Amino acid sequence: MAATGRDAPMQSGTADREIVISRVIDAPRDLVFEVFTEVRHLSQWWGPEGFTTTTRAFEFRVGGEWVFVMHGPEGTDYQEWISWTEIVPPERIALLHGESRGDPNAFESVLTFAPDGVATRIEMRTVFPTKELRDEVVEKYRAIEGGQQTLSKLAAYVAGIAQRGAES
Amino acid sequence: MARAATTSDVFNAIAEPQRREILALLRAGERPVTDLAEQLGMTQPGASKHLRVLREVGLVRDRKAGKQRLYGLDARKLRAVHEWTGGFEKFWNERFDRLDAYVQGLKQARKGK
Repeated sequence: MAATGRDAPMQSGTADREIVISRVIDAPRDLVFEVFTEVRHLSQWWGPEGFTTTTRAFEFRVGGEWVFVMHGPEGTDYQEWISWTEIVPPERIALLHGESRGDPNAFESVLTFAPDGVATRIEMRTVFPTKELRDEVVEKYRAIEGGQQTLSKLAAYVAGIAQRGAES
Repeated sequence: MARAATTSDVFNAIAEPQRREILALLRAGERPVTDLAEQLGMTQPGASKHLRVLREVGLVRDRKAGKQRLYGLDARKLRAVHEWTGGFEKFWNERFDRLDAYVQGLKQARKGK
């Protein structure tokens, strides 16, 4: 769910358009950070199962770009473009993520890496500036995921709730 | 960037905790506004205001039943919310699964050095 704290201030205008995802990785922070910084690492885990990536340009620095294509198992290609806006080794990376340079719909994600005992906690905060952009991103991720099974399960669940609700 | 009006956007409508409470209460079935206000510990006009927002985005329906008006849940509009958070979050959780596996492999490989 979107990260709306129970006590989120009413004036927080992004709460309903922000997603925070966090994960603890059982490895030292330097190593976890490293796999975000080199294309030979990124290409190993970035694409979903069954996807391959072809990198056209990669320069890990502020203002640098990663231009690549994700090839889906059914032959669909997804153009991807990432540009880094902030790099603070080994604790923080901010990036713009879109389909190509100058994409007006690129959105920003901020990744933070914090020590958690001998492990590392990654937190990724993404704020979508507009409803239109959010909808577009939904469509894209749904398409990439092809999560038909998930969606049909969800549809059944929602229909169940609706039936228990009001009768027209 | 102009924000979408609360009254036209399901995402904004459910950003308000008391409106989410109302939806949770309506899951169990239809209720009159007096009931909802009492459950939530708010005034009836306050509850009515929230119900109006929920009705305008299509999450709540109302009907006359004898002397009172009953409010009920129409959860179909929530589907967009589930799809949005589910799609993006699920995608990234799976990506972090792969990252985890990859990092474990690296860790093992470097131990030997």
